[in-house]
Formats: sequence, C-alpha cells, structure tokens
Amino acid sequence: MSLFFLNPLYLFGLMAASLPVIIHLLNRRRIRRIRFPAVKFILLSQKRISRTKRLRHWLLLALRTAAIVVLVLLLARPIFQTGAGLFASGGPSSVALVLDNSLSMTWSRDGEGFKQAKDAAARLFASLGAGDRAALIPTNTGSKDPIRLKREKDVLLRDLEGVKIADGSADFGAALARAYDVLREPASGKEIWVVTDAALTDWDRFSLAALKQYDPAVPVKVIKVATKETPPNAAIREIRLRGQDVNVGLPTEIQAVITNFGATEIKDLVVQLRVDDQPKEQKLVALAPRGETEANFQFVLARPGSHTAAVTLKKDRLAGSTSEYFTLQAEDKIKVLVVDGDPQTSLVSSETFFLTRALNPEGGGASPFVPTVVIPEGFATAPLDSYQAVVLCNVPAIPDSALPRLKEFVRRGGGLLVFVGDRVQAEDYNRKLYDTSPSILPARLKDKRLVSASALEKIERIDLKHPALAAFSDPILADSLKSTRVAGYYRIDAAGAAPVVALGNGDALAVEKKFGTGRVVLVATAADRDWSDLPVKTAYLPLVQSLVSYLQGGKKGALETGVAVGEAKKFYLPAAYVGKNLKIVRPDQREREVALAADGDKAAAAFAENDFAGIYRVSAPLAPDAPAALAPVYPVNPPFLESRLDAISDAELAARLRPARATIVPVEEIAKGGSRSDLALPLLLVLILTLVSEGWLAQRFYG
Amino acid sequence: MAATADGNKSYFDPLVLARLSNLYLKARWVVEGMMSGIHRSRSKGFSVEFEEHREYSPGDEIRRIDWKALGKFDRYFIKETEDETNLRATLILDGSASMDYGSNGVTKFEYASILTASLAYLILKQQDAAGVATFSDKIDAFVPPRAKRGYVFEILRALEAHRPAGETNAGKILQEIAGKMHRRGLVILVSDLLDDTENVLNGLRLFRFSGHDVIVFHVMDTAEIDLPFDGNILFEDLELPDLRVTADPQTIREVYRGVVNEFIDHVRKECHAAMIDYQLVSTATPLDRALVSYLGWRA
Repeated sequence: MSLFFLNPLYLFGLMAASLPVIIHLLNRRRIRRIRFPAVKFILLSQKRISRTKRLRHWLLLALRTAAIVVLVLLLARPIFQTGAGLFASGGPSSVALVLDNSLSMTWSRDGEGFKQAKDAAARLFASLGAGDRAALIPTNTGSKDPIRLKREKDVLLRDLEGVKIADGSADFGAALARAYDVLREPASGKEIWVVTDAALTDWDRFSLAALKQYDPAVPVKVIKVATKETPPNAAIREIRLRGQDVNVGLPTEIQAVITNFGATEIKDLVVQLRVDDQPKEQKLVALAPRGETEANFQFVLARPGSHTAAVTLKKDRLAGSTSEYFTLQAEDKIKVLVVDGDPQTSLVSSETFFLTRALNPEGGGASPFVPTVVIPEGFATAPLDSYQAVVLCNVPAIPDSALPRLKEFVRRGGGLLVFVGDRVQAEDYNRKLYDTSPSILPARLKDKRLVSASALEKIERIDLKHPALAAFSDPILADSLKSTRVAGYYRIDAAGAAPVVALGNGDALAVEKKFGTGRVVLVATAADRDWSDLPVKTAYLPLVQSLVSYLQGGKKGALETGVAVGEAKKFYLPAAYVGKNLKIVRPDQREREVALAADGDKAAAAFAENDFAGIYRVSAPLAPDAPAALAPVYPVNPPFLESRLDAISDAELAARLRPARATIVPVEEIAKGGSRSDLALPLLLVLILTLVSEGWLAQRFYG
Repeated sequence: MAATADGNKSYFDPLVLARLSNLYLKARWVVEGMMSGIHRSRSKGFSVEFEEHREYSPGDEIRRIDWKALGKFDRYFIKETEDETNLRATLILDGSASMDYGSNGVTKFEYASILTASLAYLILKQQDAAGVATFSDKIDAFVPPRAKRGYVFEILRALEAHRPAGETNAGKILQEIAGKMHRRGLVILVSDLLDDTENVLNGLRLFRFSGHDVIVFHVMDTAEIDLPFDGNILFEDLELPDLRVTADPQTIREVYRGVVNEFIDHVRKECHAAMIDYQLVSTATPLDRALVSYLGWRA
C-alpha cells in the first residue's frame, strides 16, 4: 500500500500552504497605532468575543490552508495503490513492459524465475482497464518488427506466451530505448515496467542517462526476480589450445578454464569433452570459492578438416552456462620432398640426415612432417603436387626437367627451402633460379667462402619479427642459434633485401622471397655438419620445422571459440564471391542466407542472427577459380559473464535508472495483486467543498 | 453666500464648513442657508417683524403654514412673530480630549463647535437668549445667556478659544452648570457622552428636575460607530493614554457595533424616560439636520 505522485515537482507548492499562516503572523507583527476615543467599547467587545468566535477564526484559517494543500496535491496527481500497484482503475495508462529473457533468467529462483516473471507480466496485462494500453518488449529478440501499444489483452498475453529465454545477455539500453520510443506518442499515465533478475552483468553496463533519448518524467518500476539463495554457480571461461598444432593423427591438447562465481566450493564437478558429438574424455575437478581451475584433455583427430566439439559441466543444481562450444580445424601432415644432393652410403654422412631427423625426430608417425628423401634424379620426376614443401640440400644443379614444375609448384603456393653446400654450382643456380624473370631465388650466389677453424663465423642477427623465426624469441633457442659456428658459406647478394639470419661479419645467412603465392627461403650454408655445427644445435630442429611450416603456408590447424550470442560473425572470401550468398544453418535448424559484398579486395559478409548457443554450419556456392578458405562450421557461445548470478543492489539499480523515478518491487508483490486509484476526483471534490465552506463561513462570520 | 454651485447642500457640509476659519461665518452660513431655504422672501423685506418657525400642530391656521419650508423639509412649519417666543438657552459643549477625533476630515469637536455656534446664532437671531459653556474635566468657559444684539460674538469667542483636552467629567460639570442657572430655560448639551453614562444622565436629569428643557446632541464619529479599520491595531485612548488595547477590528466589528448600539439605545431610552430630547448626530451628518431637530423641539 503506498501513495505516489505523477507530478511530484508540484509538491514544492505545499510551501504555499504556509501562506495564510505567514500572512496571519505578518499581520500580527505589523500593528498600527491609532488614537481612538471609544477604547472602552473595544475592550468591552473583546470581552464579549466568545471562544466560539475565536474557533471560527481558526477554522477559517485552517480551511484556507487546507484549500491550498488540496490544490497542490491535486496538481501533483496523487495515486493511491495497494499491493505493487497494478494499473487497474487508475485512469488510462500507457505501459511499456520490458521482459528480461536473457540467459541468466534460466537459473534465477532455481529455474522458476522466468516463469514467475512471465506470470507477473501476465497479471499486469490481465489487469488492464478499458482505456489502458501496453506493449511487450523482450530484452532479447531477433525481431526488428516495430512494437506498439496495444489494447487487446489476449494479443498481449499470446505475445507473452511466445517469449522464450535467449542464450545471450540482456541489452537494457536497447530495450529501454524501445520502451521510450513506444511511449513517445502523446498518452496519459505513461509508465515503464521492467521484469528482471537484476543480474549484475547485464545492469552493470547500463545507465539510463547514457541513452540518447529518454523521458525522466516517466516512472520506471522494476519487478525483481532475483535469486534468493545462490546455487553452485560456475561456467567455462575459456577453451584454449595447448601446443601449436591441430594435426591429423597427432595428439591435440586443449585446456578448459572453469570459473566458480559462487562463494562456496564446488566439489566433484564433472567436465566432459565431446568431439563430433562423441564423448572423448571427462575429468573431475573441484573449484574453490570464486576460484578457477583448468581441465586438460588430449585426443587424436582421425581426419583433416573441421570438427565440432564442446566441453560440458555436469553437476546437480549447477547454475550457469554448462556447455562451451568450439570447433577444431585439423590439418593433414605436411609432406616434404627432401632432395639430397650429396647422398652417401652412410646415412649419418648423407646431406639430409640431420634435416630429416629434425622433421621427423622419432622416425614414426608422431611428427606432423612426413619427409621423403630423393636424389636429384628422382627430383626430376617427382610429382611435386603431392608435397607441400621441397627442400634442396646441396643439390649441384637444378634438373632442367624439374625447373618448370618447381616454378609452378612455388607459384601455386608451395614452399621451397634451399640449403647450399660444396657441390652447388652457383652459376647454374643463378642462371636458372635468379636471372630468370621473375626470379625464384631470393639472392644471387656469389662466391663460396671457407674459413679456418680459428676464424669461424658466428650467427649474430636473427630477425625475430619474421613469422618463421618467432619461436626464437625464447632466449634459450636464440642463444643456441647464436652459438652456431660457421666454417663455410656462400656470400649472397640479396639486392638490398634484409636477411632473415646474418653472420657477425654482416654476411646474410638466410633470406626469404615470395614467389607467386608460394615462398622461397635460401640458407647460405649446408644442411649437414660439413660447413657448420648448426645441425647439432638445439635450435636446429625448431629452425627447420618453423621454416618448413612457414613455407608450406603456415597451416597448423586451429581451435575456434567463435562469437558470443548476439554478436555478428564475419566472413571473408575471395573477391570472386561478391554478390553470392552464404547459407547458414542455425542450431535450431533454421536456414538463413547472407549476401557477400565487396570489402576491399575481398568479399565480406556479417551474420548477426546468432541468437542461440551451439554450432552454426556455413556453406558457400562453388567458385572453382577461387577456392573458398571457409570453415564450414563455427561455434556461438553465451557470454561468459551471463552465467554470473550476482544481482545488482536495489540502490545501485535505482542509481542506474536515474534521473527517472525508479521503484523496485519483488515479484511476490505482483503475485499478491492490488489496485491503484487516481485521487484527482476525490481531491477535486474536497477542494470544492473546502472553498464553498470557506466562502460560506467567511460570509457568515464577517459578512 | 457663495454656495450656489451645488445648491444648499454645501451650506451644511461639515467638510466645507471646517475649511472656514471664522466660526461666526460658519454659524451664519449654516443658519442663513437653512433659513433661506425655509422662507427666502424674508430677506426681501416681506415683513419687518421677526419670524420664527415652529412645527405645525392641529388647530393652527392653514394659511400660516410655510409651504416653502414644507417643500424643503417635507414637514409643516408655522410662521410666528417675536412676541410669541421667550427662551433662555444654555449651550454646553464638551471640550474633552475624546472630542478631538475625526476620521473623515472633521473632528467631533469641530463639528460640535459649528453646531453649537449655529444654534447660538439661530437662537439669538430669533431674539432668544443664548449662552454657552465649554468643559472637559472642569468648566473651561461659561458665557451666561443673553438676548442682546452682538452677543453672539462673545459666545463664539468662548468657543474659538477652547482647545479639546483633558478627561471628561460630564456628570460633575453638569451639576456645576445647573447651579449657575437660576432661571428655567433650555439646556443643549453637545457631547460624545464618553464618560460614565450614569453620571451624565444624572446630570441631565438634574436639569430636568430644575425645570429646564434639555436637548442632547450626541456627536459621534462614523469610525466610532462602524469601526471600519483593517489589520491588527493598537488602540490608544485619547483621554487615558494608559488605556490601550490591541485588536483585530475585523474579528470584533460585529460585537463592537452591538456594544455601541447598546450604549446609544441605553442613552436614548434613559433620555426619553427623563423627557430629554436626544439626537444622535454623526460628524458626516449635514448640520442643517441637527438644526432642524432643534426647530422641531422649539415648535
């Protein structure tokens, strides 16, 4: 039961109620002095003034004061309400009801919160009077249809029935903006009702004053469906890849970071991994209050391409988003053709011994690299399309038959790594690979330089910004590489190009060049121990693997956690796709299409209807000339913090709704029902009665 | 007489009269103005005999009715000759401090003075004897009644010499004056009667016991009757400065009027019982009406 005012500013006028008293007091203070002959008659009159007469005087003063008070109250439009103040019989009302259907509503009140919220909204709609109008505005709706005030209760209740919990956060800024827009038309008794769980995450980023357009005169009533006792509350903050690659046949390691939002410990929390809808592994973890923990998983993917996966938390009464979706793009093993220009009967002595060991240290199938060693004659006939990279090791001359295929191989994206050696014929290399137009080789081979054991050259400079050498940011690896002593190398002329690796005397030891869509790296020393001790250094293996990976395009496989619910997913394809449509199948199996438009030298599209958490499937029309590097699936997850059930305090909530006048009531108050009455008419009658009484009495007393 | 622009009304307007400095002029103006209204032909030498008027009573000859007086006052007056009158009138003027009050430009004393002077002028003009006494808490001046020509100036001098002051002690004063009057005649008291009422009435009754005829002109200011003030007012008594009271006239007005009316009614009733002619005049009342009252008595 409460009393509030639609125009509270008018209440300042109550100060005017003191005017009759002030005038009375001023009059008493402002005494005139008159010399008068008949004072004895005045004295006699005063004695005869009865107590009733004095009472009449005060009665008139009280009536005048009351008239002002009643007039001020009338202007302030008092509304008397019982219960939470349903808008029945309170005169025509126009109400915009904002219903929080964000994901956090799922867990409020042990799962009953959303139902209670809808029940409250239904009660409000049901109490609509004949002249009342209302509009329903869910916080999370994919619909862009205009919302308007409606008089039809049945339509409003049907709309309400259709509102479901969404997987995203509530955008109260957008919802309130729509509410003010709906109420923009001239109407009486405007109000905004917000039914919400008051989740801190959603309200924390809201401020009414930050809205472009709002009306502070419209009162806002918040019906709070906050959780009273917080259940175990946890969610997966992050899924990340441990290790570098996601390769077929190799162990893939991922880590799930799980956060406990609650103030109590969560024990025996089951964390399950599913890949391609198949359970792979599960772990049991414990979470300290407000703490975090990791759950690590290792598995092997059997085929290349996209895989869908999810980590799921399992525990009774666990509140919070339990599943985190992600996709894995698995790459096949990298096939490397290694051309040995100095084969030996002893493997250890061969030019490629250290290099093949670096690519496949264990010799089995555990490496992402599959090296195939051939002699130069074999290189001339080898099917290059079967490989992602070619490594020439001390090959004396480029076979003429292989030259066109090698060029085409690199032009179409293949990688070429060239190690020189004592057998290399520099003139042949320069003629076939450098002097051509365009040249493949990054530098011209000049002269061979061999130094004595006492004057060995050292590696001094490493271009750590080069993608292939990023691993050497690790000081251990960098020191290892710099500890290499070089006894022989080719001086090269890179025509001004910056070396990737350089010796202490300034001579370049490795340079890189792009050719077509492929890349070429020239290393000006041998791949074996003939000219340096590099092959026995710790740095050799990562150097070789990094260079080969880089040259083959850097495809290492990936883990993608996608976008949050409600966010747009962007796609970039070759320009040939401009004007074509992408087809997207959502988790609810509804199909959508999104057009690709020109964006610089690419075709781009953004898909915004990511309304549900889960795996979305994408397909593009065929464009043979420009193969689409498009992952066929992408994940959408609820915003992490949406799982946090902490509620905003009433005081903070009211502050965020300022300058509007906010009232916050628990949902139980709505369930109790109530009524609301406009006191304007009774007050008007009281005012008329007061004025008539005052006039009549004044006439009677003093007239 | 310069009272032509607005007719005879200005002859009797107390405000107009108050502007005249000479009391003789005031009295003459009033009396001549009134008399010219009664029978204007007299000043043209219609009769050398002095005339006076009295009110018509059954048995009088119709031809002696003054028809012009009838037109002016709507009452019948009979013209009489000098030998028909023989009157000694003593005019007693209250000159106490309470008379020095006026809310509309004329104090009660000014009004009473003109009235007294006019009466004296009229009486002397009718060949009757007139005298005057002024008093406050004592007799300030006493001019015994005489009928000789020019006596009016002595009376007027006594009136003009008086300045209202002091506390009224009418009861005692009237007794003293009664002691000075050895022949029966007419006593005219012009006063606001703001004294102990019983003492005043006793004094007047004493005149009646002595065989005098008594006329009382009760002079009141309109503000005394109506109490027309607004706001809170500290009222200070004119005669007794220590007597003061704060009052809201709006609150007490109704009761005050009742008190004043009771006072007037009481005086009127007692005067009537003692066969005293009582006439209430406010300072807004034209003076001729007061004179007519006298003429009514004289008839």
